Amino acid sequence: MSKTNMIALGFLVIMGVFPFFADSAWLAVGTTFLVFSVVAFSQDIILGRAGAFHMGHAAFFGIGAYTTAILNTHFGWPILATWAPAVILPMTVALITISPIIHLRGDYLLVATIGINIIFIQVLENDLFGLTGGPNGIFGIDVVRVFGFEFFEQTHMYYMAFILLGITLFIMKSLDGSKFGRAMFYINKDDVAAQSMGINIRYYKMYAFAIGAGIAGAAGSMFSVQYSAVSPEAFNVLQSIMFFTIVLVGGSASLPGVLIGTFVMFVLPEIFREFETARYLVFGLAMILTMILRPRGIWPVKFGNIPAFLKKDVK
Amino acid sequence: MDIFLQQLVNGLTIGSLYALVALGYTMVYGVMKLINFAHGDLVALSAFAGLTVYTNIFADGGTSIIAVITVFMFTAAIIAVVGVLLERLAYRPLRTAPRLSAVVSALGAGLVIQNAIMLIWGPNMKIFPSDLFPSTIWDINGVVVTFTQLMILGISSVLMIALYLFINKTKMGTAIRAVAIDQDAAKLMGINVNKIIMIIFVIGSALGAVAGLFIGIYYRGITFDMGWMYGLSAFVAAIIGGIGNIPGAMFGGLMLGLFNALISGYISSAWAETFTFILLIIVLIFRPTGILGEKVAEKV
Repeated sequence: MSKTNMIALGFLVIMGVFPFFADSAWLAVGTTFLVFSVVAFSQDIILGRAGAFHMGHAAFFGIGAYTTAILNTHFGWPILATWAPAVILPMTVALITISPIIHLRGDYLLVATIGINIIFIQVLENDLFGLTGGPNGIFGIDVVRVFGFEFFEQTHMYYMAFILLGITLFIMKSLDGSKFGRAMFYINKDDVAAQSMGINIRYYKMYAFAIGAGIAGAAGSMFSVQYSAVSPEAFNVLQSIMFFTIVLVGGSASLPGVLIGTFVMFVLPEIFREFETARYLVFGLAMILTMILRPRGIWPVKFGNIPAFLKKDVK
Repeated sequence: MDIFLQQLVNGLTIGSLYALVALGYTMVYGVMKLINFAHGDLVALSAFAGLTVYTNIFADGGTSIIAVITVFMFTAAIIAVVGVLLERLAYRPLRTAPRLSAVVSALGAGLVIQNAIMLIWGPNMKIFPSDLFPSTIWDINGVVVTFTQLMILGISSVLMIALYLFINKTKMGTAIRAVAIDQDAAKLMGINVNKIIMIIFVIGSALGAVAGLFIGIYYRGITFDMGWMYGLSAFVAAIIGGIGNIPGAMFGGLMLGLFNALISGYISSAWAETFTFILLIIVLIFRPTGILGEKVAEKV
């Protein structure tokens, strides 16, 4: 067993037994950590792998959450039935909104995606179709029911999020070796060379946005069930900036990096909650310092310029 | 028609504030290819610093022209120093790092400034004194113009013309344009690139500081987190005009200000930002480098 697999197994075991040692406040933090790391992975598909500067990911996360909330509270759908729409709708919105701007260069795309996030928040706050509940959001979302069982306890939420993370990790792992994953590596390294090899950049970037938005939507659905409520400020641009920063502080395109990033950006501030006022000041300083000391993230991808799947063949 | 003219006046006022802030973004972007996300927070810091300078130094003496000028000069100097420190500590070590690392550093720096404001001045809204400018109001056939609005328009125009002349007519301005085109070649010509970048931060921050003070004087209420939205709008203005392009930033700022004012006047201010970004996306679809174009050859 390789060292990486040992670490991965260790992580999964620790996260698996965590609920037996945590009180309910920390269990909630743990569950949110799992959900946020799923969102961070989906951000990483777009930002770290496809190399598209995307700073509006909270919008897709939020569309997933609101899909579940609206279908459940307004139309009485069971939560289980909202899962598919909560994945498909963010995907569709991503395809429609991103396709006219996908060709924009780096920073332009970044500002345009911030714009998508801000438009999403204003639609929620202004209660466009009378469905989103305005600035207060939606309360009283149901729990997951399967054949008469109700999954309402904190521990249930935790393990549902844990399974979601497991599925996401499986997808991320599969991406690496797939045609899509290889195309991403080339586009990210050198888009002109990739294009001349016949890789359709536009197609693969859209593909990345669609998958990323779908996974974020699934996480959003989980998030809305966990808190049984949704409100606009959980999905504003600051959240998008957090997901963006998680990937870069942790190490883009690196699975352990993204997990560490989520831990550093979300769990650490929770631990230092007592230092309420000063903590974000220190936090900002830490962001600057991390980037100066480790410009490629805390745990960057190891293989340098050669993708891992090529190295395997050489051996 | 009255609404239209009134929103025209308001829009030009807000637009010149956007333009002043946008200049700071566009100059830094032109030379360093970096979105200086902390710039908006510098603008907010300026409003608070100006408030403290004004209340501490001129608390009882009443307002004179000299007092107002001193407040502006002093605050601009403070913010310029902060801007230079920002570049020195947060951006210079990352000049050769991947571009997104510098973006994260800028976001971190913005967080630091914002929370420093909150720790020093508190989380509540502060009210800016109203007696810096006379409260004269002209009513021209139902269109209200205030003295403050005229001052904002006048001073911003003077500053922007001065900047334009400085960049295009002086030796230092030529050096700035040279660094924007090619840093290595500029270095070989004997230009001190670090010094040029420092000057850019001095000018950009000082212009932002003036905008911050005007925001305080014009809107009165200032909050520690207000910089983010002004900064973002100004950056959008810079992109609409053509990033790296100084007349572009001025044009973009004025255009966005007018656009926002008309949207607020005729549709609803609750949708202002939505329309701002729809405008941005439409402009980018048809003119991917902004209306006046990115100045690739003469990027400053």
